[in-house]
Amino acid sequence: MSTITNIAIVARREFEVRVRTRSFGFGTLLLVIGVVAIALLPVIVRYIDRQDATRVAVVVASDDLAVDPVDTLTRLLNTPTSANPDPDAVPDYIVSRVDDLDTGRRQVIDGQYAALFSIERGGDGELAFMLYTNETSGRAAALAWQASNAIAVADRLDRLGVSAEDQAGLFGPAEFGVAWPDPNRTDPIADTAAFIGQGMLGFGMTILIFMMIIMYGTWIAMSVVEEKSSRVMEVVLNAATPFQLMAGKVLGVASVAFVQYAAVVVSGGLALLFQDAIASAVLGVGGGASLPEGLSIGLLLAFAAFGVLGFLLYACLFAAAGSLVSRQEDVNTAVMPLTLLSTVGYLIAVYASTGMLDIRAGWMVALSHVPFLSPFMMLSRISNDGVDAWEVLVSIALLVLMIVAALWVAARIYRAGVLLYGQRPGARAVWHMMRSGI
Amino acid sequence: MTLSIDGLRKRFGEVQALDGVTFQVRPGEVFGFLGANGAGKTTTMRIVLGFLRADEGSVTWMSQPASTWPRRTWGYMPEERGLYLRMPVLEQLVYYASLYGVPRGQARRDALAWLARFRIAEYADRKAESLSKGNQQKVQYIATILHDPDVILMDEPFSGLDPVNVALLKSALLEMRERGKTVIFSTHQLDPAEELCDAVAIVDHGRIVTAGPTREVKRSTGHQVVRVATSTDGDIGWLRSLPHVTVTRPGNDYTEVRVDTGTDPQAVLHAAMSHGGDLLRFEVADPSLEEVFVTRVGALDTEERTLAGVEETQP
Repeated sequence: MSTITNIAIVARREFEVRVRTRSFGFGTLLLVIGVVAIALLPVIVRYIDRQDATRVAVVVASDDLAVDPVDTLTRLLNTPTSANPDPDAVPDYIVSRVDDLDTGRRQVIDGQYAALFSIERGGDGELAFMLYTNETSGRAAALAWQASNAIAVADRLDRLGVSAEDQAGLFGPAEFGVAWPDPNRTDPIADTAAFIGQGMLGFGMTILIFMMIIMYGTWIAMSVVEEKSSRVMEVVLNAATPFQLMAGKVLGVASVAFVQYAAVVVSGGLALLFQDAIASAVLGVGGGASLPEGLSIGLLLAFAAFGVLGFLLYACLFAAAGSLVSRQEDVNTAVMPLTLLSTVGYLIAVYASTGMLDIRAGWMVALSHVPFLSPFMMLSRISNDGVDAWEVLVSIALLVLMIVAALWVAARIYRAGVLLYGQRPGARAVWHMMRSGI
Repeated sequence: MTLSIDGLRKRFGEVQALDGVTFQVRPGEVFGFLGANGAGKTTTMRIVLGFLRADEGSVTWMSQPASTWPRRTWGYMPEERGLYLRMPVLEQLVYYASLYGVPRGQARRDALAWLARFRIAEYADRKAESLSKGNQQKVQYIATILHDPDVILMDEPFSGLDPVNVALLKSALLEMRERGKTVIFSTHQLDPAEELCDAVAIVDHGRIVTAGPTREVKRSTGHQVVRVATSTDGDIGWLRSLPHVTVTRPGNDYTEVRVDTGTDPQAVLHAAMSHGGDLLRFEVADPSLEEVFVTRVGALDTEERTLAGVEETQP
């Protein structure tokens, strides 16, 4: 039988047997739910937030304030956290005045208010502020402190005779910008929000690729061992060559992985795309479709290319590792070197994405071309920093060459390994198998 | 025009597994490959099928190297029988056959016919793990021959079978011979070999001890066997006192003796007549394969030979 036909037959069996299992259906469903939940997290948080606005009480023991402290507090406490605030949203904090300090404090104890903000004028004429609350840390306390400064400054200016109109001018926002230190660098600088969003996108894609390699790679190794331990291996070995069996298995499991990933990526993407529409349906506020910051066709293509190629590279080696052992208990030990290698690439990429390592460093650029690491590192470089197209093409070419080499090595190990029962061979025996083929 | 195995040598690390294995199997015969566990039977079969490469020697079928024949020429039933336990029976039979290039529809029809013949048609859609051991072995056998191979190699096909299934397998093998197939099976049980085989080879420590048509192999020791029974059965002292005659099996119904090369078995008859009493039985026969084996190789009770452990742990 021709090689291609047999590979297709083996791959088809692997695919069908796996997709039919109940755990595949459940697993995919759980993954989809998880991804949709993460994508919709902002909407969910806003929905939960809306349910209970925090109530803050103000007691003012002085009646000659230039500004209304209730207004100032309301404005500062409800400072929007997102770039485009929703004007109709219910405010997070509702500030109201109470007449008496003791009553107010009792009401905070009762839980009617989250905090009581008291203002009185001291002997030196300065305003003194006190926040009575059980929540001594967090954003609300910091904002209350900020509000007290603003009220105190306004009060001082008022006493110095600066009118309210002049004060508005004084407090107007200043001009502020960010630029590259290198004067020759002309590419536009991203604003902070977009920069973080893009970095996170590369980060998320790296996690997806890493999970795919570890999860389905181990799967491949396990299924090789299963064929060995059930002794089916010798039956099929008479019909098909070891290479056909290995290639079919890798492609079969790969298609399972791609089906599952397609389900996850599509549902996650749809959830992101319609985040605002869903938000408007659930929260009753306006909004249309929007893509996350930094998501481009180029990045998606790179994700697909590095995901597929990276998986194929690791997958055939996972198959070879699986062929070296004959019991399920030994699978983890056998695939350990591969797990370690992929974890190294993954961790470097994660540290780079989160800014803990300098993504522009020379060694980082060099390592991002190394085939076993590039599937993780190139993506985080692309999404964080932008990489020239030729660099990406070079690393993909190196990856393809390495896949060919790995396939050759794996096929030889597999050929010898599948008939091997009993003790796990050491590194030297594996080297011997690779050289002699059997 | 034979399956010709010529001078196979194979070394696993320190152990010389095969040391010049040579024998021929004629097309259309049932051939027994006899030896203790670890004598080199499995290694030889794996080399014939191309799973292992011999250090030296060659395997040809119809004068062409074995590896040049299409895979569907060969049917193989390994000693450790494997099935995909969680896969339905019919589906996996179709899978195996399609790897050999049998169209799925035809594989399905043939598999169903075979399942019906072995009276396990109702298990076609069950997972293999739900079948009894005996039924799994039937499925195994179907998997071996479903693609209609010309040469069928079976490694210890009779081990672990109950008597009913042994009989079933015997008749299946004979049927294969009638269809003109060449059947080679290895075994360390000599009874089925004696019953079925047109020719045998005895292998020990990676060497062929003797090979050829079963009849010739049996006569190769030069001994003959005489079974004798008289009405004075309890007393066999007279038999023991005969020169060149050894009592091998004293029994109630008859006594079996081995007559050394060059001695006329008729001498036993004359002694029996002159000893007195009625002669109830007198029979001259070739020695059994077991006797040949014991003479040539030694007792079969040493189950584990040198290679038993090595064969599977060395690449």
